[in-house]
Amino acid sequence: MFQKILIANRGEIAIRVLRACKEMGIRTVAVFSEVDRRALHTRYADEAVCIGPAPARESYLVIDKIIDAAKKSGAEAIHPGYGFLAENPLFADRCEKEKIKLIGPSAYAMRTMGSKTLARKTVQAAGVPVVPGTVEPISTEAEVVRIAKQIGFPVMLKATAGGGGKGMRLVREESELSSSLRMAKSEAKSAFSDDSVYIEKYIENPRHVEIQLLGDRHGNYVHLCERECSIQRRHQKVVEESPSVIVTPGIRAAMGKVAIEAARAVKYEGAGTCEFLVDRDRNFYFLEMNTRLQVEHPVTEMVTGIDIVKEQIRVAGGEKLSFRQEDVKQTGHAIECRVYAEDPERNFMPCPGVVTSLRIPGGPGVRDDSGMYEGFEIPIYYDPIISKLVAWGKDRTEAIARMKRALAEYVVTGVKTTIPFHIRVMNNRHFIEGNFDTNFIDKVFFKEEEARRLENEDVAMITAAIQVFTEERKRAVAQQPGEAAGPVSMWKYSTRPGIRKIG
Amino acid sequence: MSYVATIGEREVKVTVEELGGANYKVAIDGVEHVVDAHKVASQLWSVLYGDASFVVDVTQLPTEDFEVLIHGDCHKFTLMNEQRRAMIRAGGKGSAGKAMVTSPMPGKVVKLLVGVGQEVQADQGVIVVEAMKMENELKSALAGKVKEIFVKEGEVVESGAKLLLVE
Repeated sequence: MFQKILIANRGEIAIRVLRACKEMGIRTVAVFSEVDRRALHTRYADEAVCIGPAPARESYLVIDKIIDAAKKSGAEAIHPGYGFLAENPLFADRCEKEKIKLIGPSAYAMRTMGSKTLARKTVQAAGVPVVPGTVEPISTEAEVVRIAKQIGFPVMLKATAGGGGKGMRLVREESELSSSLRMAKSEAKSAFSDDSVYIEKYIENPRHVEIQLLGDRHGNYVHLCERECSIQRRHQKVVEESPSVIVTPGIRAAMGKVAIEAARAVKYEGAGTCEFLVDRDRNFYFLEMNTRLQVEHPVTEMVTGIDIVKEQIRVAGGEKLSFRQEDVKQTGHAIECRVYAEDPERNFMPCPGVVTSLRIPGGPGVRDDSGMYEGFEIPIYYDPIISKLVAWGKDRTEAIARMKRALAEYVVTGVKTTIPFHIRVMNNRHFIEGNFDTNFIDKVFFKEEEARRLENEDVAMITAAIQVFTEERKRAVAQQPGEAAGPVSMWKYSTRPGIRKIG
Repeated sequence: MSYVATIGEREVKVTVEELGGANYKVAIDGVEHVVDAHKVASQLWSVLYGDASFVVDVTQLPTEDFEVLIHGDCHKFTLMNEQRRAMIRAGGKGSAGKAMVTSPMPGKVVKLLVGVGQEVQADQGVIVVEAMKMENELKSALAGKVKEIFVKEGEVVESGAKLLLVE
């Protein structure tokens, strides 16, 4: 087994991996950018190496710097976490060349699954059901029209190199095709420097269900059952759970089987995930395979009792998987809420800043995977995820109840977070009934929330008045009252989603 | 001290009187209560009101706008004392026809979508600020002419920083 591992990441996922290493008695090396000197992962690791300026392209994304840090510190393996270099085959190639073990699949598996068209072709050959559409990138408008007519509207145009909803366009009828194609190509070009797109039949109101996989280099594969990830905001997962309310034992077994076939097709090593869309009639279609650990892995860990990060490290060290398929059991129910430093009251505008006070929830069945502390300044440069809050219960009802009370316990001040949003989701009737699809948040939830009457308005006003009162008192004691406030800003803002290629 | 909270069209009168310790006599629209309010962290209050205990997160924006969070509900209103309100009423708005774009968060100016002297429409995007891998296009609420630009592309700005002025 490895003696020392370098973690090529930051924030909450770096902490998650560091925790696994500590439990395994493996020495750890953190890397940090100049702005992350005081970050928790820098403090938590046994060793820490500065890899340059704040922007990720000058630090966390620079392969040379990561490799150099690994060599200098004598790390035998690198865990990439998710995001940054986690799915970069060039990084995998380089690690292999430098004889440093990358904890993850081969560059070949990353390349195959990283290209959506190649992935489709590969899994289709392995007998995995896919959404009807093209396999090759399409270029001419005439071709797009022909294929769209063949598979039938509505269709979805997607960037070949895409992710996170960028370069995706829904087309409901032929007349929208040419402008949508132009926009999809232009978005793909600016986001991924690659304007190739492909076309797929659009599955109306699907649910997103995925299968967690583990494989070792001895040809053993297991699946760790499903995760339901249909609670999405603008194509980004925000709440995940396991099991899924729509997955029966029969569907679970069938999905697990094809997911393993997809993994076997690329000799997959380590942890990976096959994502599926499930339609109204519970037909499932392969969407993509993520060749890394996922943000939502803790829900699987909570219901199976398997530490996925430790298994990743063990199989990377050449060991066999420590259990077999028949050993995998889902016990109870787990839910994860992704806590972002975003302001739900301002269209989820990013909200970096100093965490002025923090209270982490605890108690039975609650797990908080976070990377912050009181006084920490959440930087402007990176992904806004600050915590993954997970609740386990003996059934879904108890899991929801626990999540609700854990969210109520969670106090973060100084920056706005998505905690209030999650409280509302946990209280939503459709969520509680398990009645939702991937459009639920954007199409149903926000409308219902707008119409909702808030409670405890009197308490809100009274407390605000007391705060103003005490501040006026303080100012009066200190000196003259301050000058009049400046003109009220008349600027409105809106947010457009950026690229967030994790999860 | 008397305050006026405004929620949409509705006005609510709140009076606060200190009773000593952390106790306050408050009246909301004339109904009196004794409230025990402790500030437990910056902007975070523990409030005993009636027979219930509340944790209340009070954010005051640079103006007199408040966002108060209780059990996941965000209450938005303006609140000011009565004298100040009377002053504002007497003086009028004063800032009509002119508006400063400020950055709503710390971030980096990615792109200026307009130049000095350019005419802009209401709701037109004028500048793009990036934070945490998200690009945020800031829009103009007014139609007018760009009078001055205070930042350059690539510049890192603080929350509340002046970006540009339109008249």
